[in-house]
Amino acid sequence: MTDHQREQNAMTVTVPPSSPDSASGDVHGPGRADFFGALAWIGLGLAILVGSIGMDRLEAQDVNPYTIPGLLPGLLGIAMMILGSLLALRSWRRGLDRPSCPDTGRRGAEIKHLALVLALCLTYGVLLVGHGLPFWLASALFVSTTIPLLQGPQRRATGQKLTLRTVALSAVIGLGAGGMITLVFQKIFLVHLP
Amino acid sequence: MLAGLAELGNAYLGFLNFTSIVYGLGGALIGICVGCLPGLSATLCIALLTTLTIKLEANNAILILICSYVGTLYGGSRTAILLNIPGTAANAASCADGHALALRGEAGRAIGIATSGAFTSTLFGVLCLATVTPLLAEVALSFGAFEFFWLALFGVTMSGSIVGNDPLKGWLMGALGLFVAQIGQDGLYSHDRFTFGWSQLSGGIALIPALVGAFGFAEILTTLADPIERKLVEMKDSVLPRFREIVQYWPTVLRSGVIGVLTGLMPGVGEDAGSWMSYAAARAASKEKDQFGKGSIDGLMAAETGDMASIPGHIIPCLALGIPGSAPSAVLMAAMIIHGIQPGPMMMIEHPQFVYDVVAMTTLAMCSILIFGLFLVRPLLLIMRVKRTILMPIIFLLCTVGAFAGASRLFDIYSMLAIGIGAFFLRRHGYQMAPFVLGLVLGGLLDKSLRRGLVLSDGSLLPFFTRPICIAFASITIFTMLLYIPAFKSAVKRVTSGIGAQLTRCFAR
Repeated sequence: MTDHQREQNAMTVTVPPSSPDSASGDVHGPGRADFFGALAWIGLGLAILVGSIGMDRLEAQDVNPYTIPGLLPGLLGIAMMILGSLLALRSWRRGLDRPSCPDTGRRGAEIKHLALVLALCLTYGVLLVGHGLPFWLASALFVSTTIPLLQGPQRRATGQKLTLRTVALSAVIGLGAGGMITLVFQKIFLVHLP
Repeated sequence: MLAGLAELGNAYLGFLNFTSIVYGLGGALIGICVGCLPGLSATLCIALLTTLTIKLEANNAILILICSYVGTLYGGSRTAILLNIPGTAANAASCADGHALALRGEAGRAIGIATSGAFTSTLFGVLCLATVTPLLAEVALSFGAFEFFWLALFGVTMSGSIVGNDPLKGWLMGALGLFVAQIGQDGLYSHDRFTFGWSQLSGGIALIPALVGAFGFAEILTTLADPIERKLVEMKDSVLPRFREIVQYWPTVLRSGVIGVLTGLMPGVGEDAGSWMSYAAARAASKEKDQFGKGSIDGLMAAETGDMASIPGHIIPCLALGIPGSAPSAVLMAAMIIHGIQPGPMMMIEHPQFVYDVVAMTTLAMCSILIFGLFLVRPLLLIMRVKRTILMPIIFLLCTVGAFAGASRLFDIYSMLAIGIGAFFLRRHGYQMAPFVLGLVLGGLLDKSLRRGLVLSDGSLLPFFTRPICIAFASITIFTMLLYIPAFKSAVKRVTSGIGAQLTRCFAR
């Protein structure tokens, strides 16, 4: 970050892209992504509005017409459509031909890495946990598989190989994490685990 | 007044026992460790600890959460100084000067300044918490449905405007949060909204799984998607806090403390705003402006005191109005509700002692960070050396447990995953999570207040715009939104610069 950028950050009170809560802010500029995002917001707003209008007004229960359940969701749908239209207009005026994200080699690697992380997390959260397998075992399996799979590409990039020692260490960390979480949450703090 | 002091004294005495001190120190230590790890926020820490402490007595559970809240923000400064990565968003302003000092071989001094600044500003914030909360709660007792409608809308709008650098996206996220809060049975007639016949959705999207998804799983994806490891700066000098520098820079400490508490009072703005505003104010007032960003003690002190003072500031509206000041205080509020304490104007009537208990808890948190700041700096730095590829899978296990433990529903794990993935992609396109969280928290209040208000006024919108407090909230909310229109903004600029020029001429005479 340059001094000038720092100065701007300090004066405009914004969270810089490097901060965790704004991590990966839109570093490539708005471009087409904002326009398509805006269309999605308008679509969502319209769907909410249609859903709210079609919602039961509880006339059979003789409720006050000002308290119908679809009132606020309908207004929120309209708000989303207005704000989405403003976003679409702004991105249109800024130009749609600007690419939203340069397709570099690093980005390709990042997408592969992200797909791997997502697949691992979803497998654990949707398939392994809560379907009969003990929590400690499911967790141990997840951690001991994830660590070598994530470290593999990093090691390859630096010319190192994934050793048997790393795999064994990952298994120990996995068993330790699964066992400790079960012990602390279930046995000490009496929290029910999946 | 005397009754208040007596209750405050009782609260302090109530926490002077071995169990409370151990819980307080434990909470602060966990918080500091989480803060030291880039990518893990105070919101995630409090959300995970809420599930861990669910079976504890209310006071002990909230004590752990408050200590971890203070600890996380304090711990985040270590990462900012030594790695040039803010441990939490609130520490971003400390990066420039803190890391510059570390590169000059003064890392210990920078950590010492962070410790002394954190202690002093939390002390200032605690004083404000003890005095302002009862007063604000008394004012809030006169609030009705119309005022609460505007207060909720004001919170979401301000959060959208100030957090991040694109108000339009902030408001969209606020509207999304408000909408997600409407899913499930409505608060007046228990009528299913947007459940599509799915019984699991009738209970709505629970706050803790949503927060764990938005701040935990999304952060894990962000951290693991970018596999670059940063180098830690070695620390060679003493880390003892410099209270001498507090005395030397007292105007900065006082100014930043006031700014921190005031930004804390604004709903949904977050600790980072307190930090950046204090930094900007210190720079404007400093005689050594050119040193800012190059290792200025004044700058580091301002950033660290601003964010820490905003913690008690955020707790004030949370207790007095039931409106959280930031995402971490939203989780804190949810934890209070889980433990049977309803924050809001009625708190001073139903649980008057609890407000003073929170003051005592924050004081204990403040003392805990001083103890760890004095004695445990170097051992705690070892945590920062743990590889992210080892740490993040374990954090994901905790996220899964955290999402599940509240209601023991697998559905909550699925909603955590869905919200996390959504939050990850939205953040990559510049959408902030804080307005979404505030919308999620305030959605129920907004819905009930709007419909109750309309029943009271027999469908008339006039009371929403004619009652005195409503006029104030409505004016600020509408004015903030209108500022987005370029023509209106330039007209406001013309008027303000015209008034400024007139005033300058008057004073010149």
